[in-house]
Amino acid sequence: MKNVYLPITVDHIARVEGKGGIEIVVGDDGVKEVKLNIIEGPRFFEAVTLGKKLDEALAVYPRICSFCSAAHKLTAVEAAEKAVGFTPREEIQALREVLYIGDMIESHALHLYLLVLPDYLGYSSPLKMVDEYRKEIGIALDLKNFGSWIMDELGSRAIHQENAVLGGFGKLPDRSVLEDMKKRLKEALPKAEYTFELFAKLEQYEEVEGPITHIAVKPRNGVYGIYGDYLKASDGFEFPSEEYRDHIKEFVVEHSFAKHSHYHGKPFMVGAISRLVNNSKLLYGRAKELYEGHKDLLRPTNPFANNLAQALELVYFTERAIDLIDEALAKWPIRPRDEVEIRDGFGVSTTEAPRGVLVYALRIENGRVSYADIITPTAFNLAMMEEHVRMMAEKHYNDDPEMLKLLAEMVVRAYDPCISCSVHVARL
Amino acid sequence: MGEKKVRIGFYALTSCYGCQLQFAMMDEILQLIPNVEVACWFMIERGSYEDEPVDIALIEGSVSTEEEIELVKKIRENARIVVAVGSCAVQGGVQSWEKDKPLEELWKTVYGDAKVKFQPKMAEPVSNYIKVDYNIYGCPPEKKDFLYAIGTFLVGSWPEDIDYPVCLECRLRGNTCVLLEKGEPCLGPITRAGCDARCPAFDVACIGCRGAVGYDVAWFDSLAKTFREKGLTKEEILERMKMFNAHNPKLEEMVEKVFQGVKE
Repeated sequence: MKNVYLPITVDHIARVEGKGGIEIVVGDDGVKEVKLNIIEGPRFFEAVTLGKKLDEALAVYPRICSFCSAAHKLTAVEAAEKAVGFTPREEIQALREVLYIGDMIESHALHLYLLVLPDYLGYSSPLKMVDEYRKEIGIALDLKNFGSWIMDELGSRAIHQENAVLGGFGKLPDRSVLEDMKKRLKEALPKAEYTFELFAKLEQYEEVEGPITHIAVKPRNGVYGIYGDYLKASDGFEFPSEEYRDHIKEFVVEHSFAKHSHYHGKPFMVGAISRLVNNSKLLYGRAKELYEGHKDLLRPTNPFANNLAQALELVYFTERAIDLIDEALAKWPIRPRDEVEIRDGFGVSTTEAPRGVLVYALRIENGRVSYADIITPTAFNLAMMEEHVRMMAEKHYNDDPEMLKLLAEMVVRAYDPCISCSVHVARL
Repeated sequence: MGEKKVRIGFYALTSCYGCQLQFAMMDEILQLIPNVEVACWFMIERGSYEDEPVDIALIEGSVSTEEEIELVKKIRENARIVVAVGSCAVQGGVQSWEKDKPLEELWKTVYGDAKVKFQPKMAEPVSNYIKVDYNIYGCPPEKKDFLYAIGTFLVGSWPEDIDYPVCLECRLRGNTCVLLEKGEPCLGPITRAGCDARCPAFDVACIGCRGAVGYDVAWFDSLAKTFREKGLTKEEILERMKMFNAHNPKLEEMVEKVFQGVKE
C-alpha cells in the first residue's frame, strides 16, 4: 500500500506584506510540488486606471502598496514624464531620490527588524521582543521613524505621498529642513552600521545555495542608486528598459492572483542582493568598505544574503542621501515644480524599489491613460522564490513539519515579498 | 483598566496593507502592549488565529473574494466591537473606482482568458456584509485616528465621527485655496476632515481619500456646480468623486441634479 501524505501548508504567511500561503506536497519519492498560493484578492489597478486622467491615475497607483508607495509614485510619475517628453531638472531628480531613499530606509528597517529578526531570536512577533531586545527595537523604530520623516517632509506623508507630482513637487520644505535632514542622516549612520553587524552574524542556510540569475537596474550617472534606463542581468546581458517585454515574459499560474515571470525562459531574482551582485563596483564610502570586508556573506548564490544586502543598503543610502541633498542645496532656492505639457506618448520607467526592479509602462492619449503595464519586484521573484522553498523542502520534508514550515517561511521572508503589490497585475 | 487584557485582532482583506503599516509604525503601540493581547495580526504576529474571540476587531481591506465574505462573517461572530479601518474597508477603496464595469471586463483586461483557483469579485466595503460598529477613515488613516479610537475603546467609551470637511481645517491652517484660487479640482469641500488638510497644505488638490462627510452633509451637488463652472464635464466630476466614493449612495443622484436638462 502506498503511503498517504498530507500537504504541509502555511495558510497565511505571517510577517510579510499581503496575503499568501505555502503548500508543500510530499509523496513517496520526496517533494512533489511546492506552491506559493497568492490569495490576496485581485485589484485590477491597470484596468481601473485605464481611460482615467493622468493626475488621478498617478494618485491611485501608489495605493498598490504601502510598504513601497513612494517607489510606486515616483516610478509612475517618471513613466508619465517620459511618455509626455518631460525631463525634470537635476535638483528635482536629486530630491526625488532622497524621497525614494526615505522609503528605502523605512522599508528595510521594518523588514529586517520587525519581519525577519524575530525568527532568528525565537519570537513569533517583534512585539514580544520588546523587553529582551530593547536596544534593537529602539534602533528599528528610530530608523523607520527617520525614513518616515523624510517622506513626510518631501512627500507629504510616509504612506501614499501626494506631494510628488508631474513636473516636481507641490511644495518643497525650507532649506533649514534639508540642513536638518543632513544632520539626522549623519546621526542615523551608526544605527545603520549596527544593523549590518547584527545581520552579518545570522545563519545563511546552505540548503538553498545554488546559482541565481540576478536582474537590477543599471544606475544612472554611474553611481549605485535607484533610477536607471537599462536593466542588467548577472549573465552580463543588458537591455534598454523599453525592451523589458522582449526579455522578461509574464504568465498566469492557477494557484495565484499574481503572475509569474521568467527571464529568457528561467526564474530570476531581483532585490537588494541583486543590486549588489550587479552594481557593487558603483558603491562608495563606508558601504564599499563593509562590502569588501563581507563578500563571503553577500553571496550571489543564496537568497538569505538579501537580508544582509538590505542592511548594507541602509548604510549606503544614508550616506548617499547626504550627497543628493548637497547637490540640491547647491542650486538653492529651488523652484518646486515645472509646468508639464501633457502630450500623447509612451514611457517606460524602471527603478529599484526596496524589493527590487519595479517597471511602469504608460501610454498617454488625450491626457488620459490608454495603456498601463506595471510589474512589481514580487511578481518578478515569485517563480524563483518557489524554487528556493522547494530546495528547502527537499532537505527538510522528513523533519518536524513545524520546523519545515518555519524554514519555508523564512525563505519567503528573505525575499521581502510585497504580496499586495504583486496582485495588482499586468495586462497580458 | 482592570487586570484583564483587551484582546485585539487586526485582519486583512484585499488592500495595500497601509492601514496596518500605519498602526504598526506608531511608537505609541509600545505603550499599548501592557494593556492588550494580540490574538490575530498576521503582519506582525506569527502565532495569529483568525478564529479566536476578540474584544476589538480591526479590519483593513475591501471584500474582494468569496473567501473574504466568509472571513468577515467569522470575524463578526468572534468580536465584540468591529472597526472598519481605512478607505478600502470603509468605502471599498480605489479598487472600486470602476465598480460599475462588469468584473469579467476588468478580469480580461488584466488576466486575459486565464483562470485561477480562487473566486474573485468586485471590491466592496465591509459594511455590505456585516454590521460595522465604528469606522476609521483615511488612505491611510492618520496615527491620531487610531489613538483616538483605540484609546476611547480602552477607557470603555465610544469615539465620535468627524462631521465637518477638510476645507475647515485647510482654512484654519491659512492655506491658499487650491480650488478657488488655483482652479484645481479639490475635493476638500466634501471630504471628511481629520488629516489637517495635509495635501492642500502642499499645494496639491484633495483627492478625497477619507471619503465623503457623513450624515448626508457632503454637498456633492454644490461642489459639482463649482466644478461645472470651471469647465469640468459630468463624467469628469463623477470620475474624480468616485475615486474614493464609488459606493456612496448619494453621489450620482446629487451630481445628476446639477446636470439635469443640460446637454453635455
